[in-house]
Amino acid sequence: MLFTSLEFFAFLPLVLLLFSTMRVSQRWAVLLVGSYVFYGIWNPFNLVYLGAVTLVVHGCGWALERAKYVIIRKALLAAGLVTVLGSLVAFKFYDFAAGEFERLVAPTIAVQLPRLAVSTPVGYSFYAVSASSYLIDVYVRRLSGASHPGHAALYVAYFPKIFAGPIERATHFLPQLLAALRADPDRIVLGLQLIGWGLFKKVVIADNLAPLVDRNFAIAAFASPIELLIGVYFFAFQIYCDFSGYTDIAIGISLLFGIQLMENFRRPYLSRATSEFWGERWHISLGRWFRDYLYIPSGGSHAGPARQYLNIMIVFVVSGLWHAGLGYGVGWTFLVWGALNGGYQWAGLATHQSWRRLGERLPGVAQSAVLVVFRVLLTFHLIAISWVFFRARSIDDALMILRKIGTNLLDIASVVVGYPFTADHFLGMALIVLLLVVEIFDERRSVSQRLATAPTMLRWGVYYLVIFGLLILGRWQAKEFIYMQF
Amino acid sequence: MKRLGKSAIVFVAIGLLIFGGAYYAAELLMYRNGHSNPLFKITKAGPGAFDWIILGASHAMPLDFADFNDQMRRETGMKIINLASPGTGPLYNRFVLEIFLRDHSAKNLLYVVDSFAFYSHIWNEERFGDTKLLRATPFDVGIAGLLWQYSWHEGVERRALADYLSGFSKLNNRDRFQKDIWEGELQFDRVYRPSASAVKSRISYLFPSPEAPAALTRYLAEFSKLLDLAQKQNIRVVLVKMPTPAQFRAQLPNEADFSFAMSRLLAGQGFVLEDFSADLDEPRFYFDTDHLNRTGVTEFFTRHLRQLLASPRNREGRI
Repeated sequence: MLFTSLEFFAFLPLVLLLFSTMRVSQRWAVLLVGSYVFYGIWNPFNLVYLGAVTLVVHGCGWALERAKYVIIRKALLAAGLVTVLGSLVAFKFYDFAAGEFERLVAPTIAVQLPRLAVSTPVGYSFYAVSASSYLIDVYVRRLSGASHPGHAALYVAYFPKIFAGPIERATHFLPQLLAALRADPDRIVLGLQLIGWGLFKKVVIADNLAPLVDRNFAIAAFASPIELLIGVYFFAFQIYCDFSGYTDIAIGISLLFGIQLMENFRRPYLSRATSEFWGERWHISLGRWFRDYLYIPSGGSHAGPARQYLNIMIVFVVSGLWHAGLGYGVGWTFLVWGALNGGYQWAGLATHQSWRRLGERLPGVAQSAVLVVFRVLLTFHLIAISWVFFRARSIDDALMILRKIGTNLLDIASVVVGYPFTADHFLGMALIVLLLVVEIFDERRSVSQRLATAPTMLRWGVYYLVIFGLLILGRWQAKEFIYMQF
Repeated sequence: MKRLGKSAIVFVAIGLLIFGGAYYAAELLMYRNGHSNPLFKITKAGPGAFDWIILGASHAMPLDFADFNDQMRRETGMKIINLASPGTGPLYNRFVLEIFLRDHSAKNLLYVVDSFAFYSHIWNEERFGDTKLLRATPFDVGIAGLLWQYSWHEGVERRALADYLSGFSKLNNRDRFQKDIWEGELQFDRVYRPSASAVKSRISYLFPSPEAPAALTRYLAEFSKLLDLAQKQNIRVVLVKMPTPAQFRAQLPNEADFSFAMSRLLAGQGFVLEDFSADLDEPRFYFDTDHLNRTGVTEFFTRHLRQLLASPRNREGRI
C-alpha cells in the first residue's frame, strides 16, 4: 500500500479511528495490526521475512539481556547480526556476485553457481538496519532486551517508516510506546502540514520531474548535452522530493498517533559543504546509524588521520552498497557513488583547516553572501555529479553523461536559447524554484512556525494552494517511492 | 473547541467553493478541447435521429478521422455518428449505446467486431476507469446514474464512479490544454512499414492475459445484451470485421475459435457477421500495425462500406 494510493486514504482514517477508540495502554496493538495489514497487502509473503526479523530481534535481545558471559553475549550479537544483515547482503548481492564471479572465471573454467532468485523484500534494507541497531543497543546496554514483545515487534514493523525510514532508534521509539500514546492538537496540525507538504513533494514535484529524468537517462547515448544536463538537475530534485516527501509523510502520520520519529532531512541543498550535506542534512537517520554503529566503533577520528580517512571511505562505500537495490539495479555504480562521496569527504577534511583560517583572518569574506552562495552551489553540483552514478545504468553510462556535459559546457548557454523547452520543462523548473523558496524561508524560521503566527487568510491560502496543487498538478497514478526499492 | 469547529466548517466551505470553481473551469476546458470521446460526441450532437451509429474499438475509429465521416455522409446521404473508442469491449459499447438512446434514435447500428475486446476485463470493466476516457466525458446526471448502475450490477469499479462524480480526472488532466484527439488520428495519412516486432508487441498488448474461455463467454453474453437492446429499439444491426494486414491477422490467438463462438451466437439471434478482415492485405492501407489509414479507409468504403451504409433498411431489423 503506497502513501499516495486511494487505499491508504481509506486505511489511515480507519486505523486512526480504531486507535482513538482503544484504551491508551492498548493502542500499540492497533498500530501493530495495522502495520502488518499495511505491509502484508503489498505482498503477504513479505510478512514471513518481517516475522523472522522480529523473532530474531526479540529472541536475541531477550537472550542478550539474560546472558552473563561476554563470549555468549558476543555470540548472540553475532548470530543476530549475521542473520539480519547477512540475509540483507545475500538478498541484494548474492545473485549479482555469482554472475560476476562466473564472468570473471569464464575464460578458464565454466562455472554455473546456483541462484537465489529472490528479490529483496520491500523495505527490508530499512527494517534490517533498524533491527541490527536494536541488537547492538541491547548488547552495549543502551537498551533493555526485555522490552515488551509487542513493542519490539512494532518497532520493527511500524507502518509509517517500514518502507523507507526514517531509520528510527529503539532507544527513541520504545520509550514513546511506554508513555501514553496520545496526539495533542499542535502535533495533529504539524502532522497534517507534514503529510500535505510530503505529498506535494512526492506527487507534484518528484513525479512531474520523473518522466523527463527517465527519458533523458534512458536515451543518454543519443541525448544532447542540454538534455542530459536537464536530466541531472531534475534528478537531484526528484530524488530529494521523492525521498524526503516519504519521510515527511511518515513523520506526519506518526504525529497523528502521538509518536515522534526522528528528523531525516534538513534542507540538504542549502548545505555549504558535502560533509554538512551527509552529516547534518541528508538522510540524517542513516548517517547517524553509520556514525554510531560503524564509524565510531571503527575508531572514528580518534585513531589517527590515516585511520580516519580510511574509516570515512569505509562508511561511504558501505553506504553505497546499502543503496544498491532494485530501483536502479545492483551494480558497480553504487560503489563508485559511495567512493566518490567518500572522496568528497577526504577533500573536505583536507581543506577544512584552510577554510577555518580564512574565517579567522577574513571573517567578512568567509561569511559574505557571495561566498556562501558559491559554496552552496559548489556543494550542490558535487552532489549532483555523484547522483549521476546513482541513477545511470552503468559506470560507462555515467561517465559518458558527465563527459558529454563537460565537453559541451561552454556551448550549453548558447544552446539553451534555442532549445525547444516544453510545458513539462517549465512546470518542472517552476516547481523547483517553489521548493527552493520554501526551503530558504524554512531555513531561517520553520514554515510551520511562520504559519502558526500568520493571519488566517494567509495560512488558509497556503493550505488551499497545497491541496489544490495536489489535485490539479499531482501525478497520482505514477510511481512508487524510489527508496522503497532499496 | 466550538470556535475550532466553526473554523473547520468555514475552511471546508471555502474549499468546496474553490473546488466548485475548479470543477466548472475543468468542465469548460473539456468542452473546448473535446473531440474523440463517444459520450462527448453524444452530448455535442444534441437530440435527434441518426441513420447509422457506429460502435466498436479503435479499428472503427478511422471511419471518423479527419473529414471522413462527412465524406461518408455526402456519398451515402446518411446521417452517421461514430461512437467507437480505443480499447473498448462490448460492455463499454453497450454503456455508450444506452446513453445514446436516451435522447437519440438510430435506424442502423454498425458494430465493428474485434476479438481482443472479448477476452479481457481490461477492455471492458476496467475501461470505465480509464482517466483518458473519464477526463473527456462531460458531466451529466444520466451518465452518472447509469455508471452507478454499472458499478453495482456489471462489475465496473466504484473508483470509476467516484472519479467521474468528483471530476478528478478532469481536474488532474495533464493535457488539459490540448485537444482530445486519439494519437491514431494524427497518423491518419501515414503509411505503415511492416515490423514483426511491432506486431508482436501489439498482440501482447491486446491480449494481456492468456485467452480464457470464461472471459469469452462472459463478454459474448454482454454483447448479446447489446444486440437485445438494439433489437428492442428496432435498430438494424450490421456486424463487420474491419480489414487488417495479413501479418497482424496471422498473430491473432484463437481467432478461429472466436469466430466460431461469435457466429454461433449471431446465428441464434439471426445476425450475420461480415468478415472483411482479409480484404486489404497491403501495408500501404494502414498507418500502423492494424489501423486503416486514409487510403485504406477510402478503399474499404469504396469496395464495401458505401453499399452497406446506403442499402435500404430491412423492415425486420436484420440483414
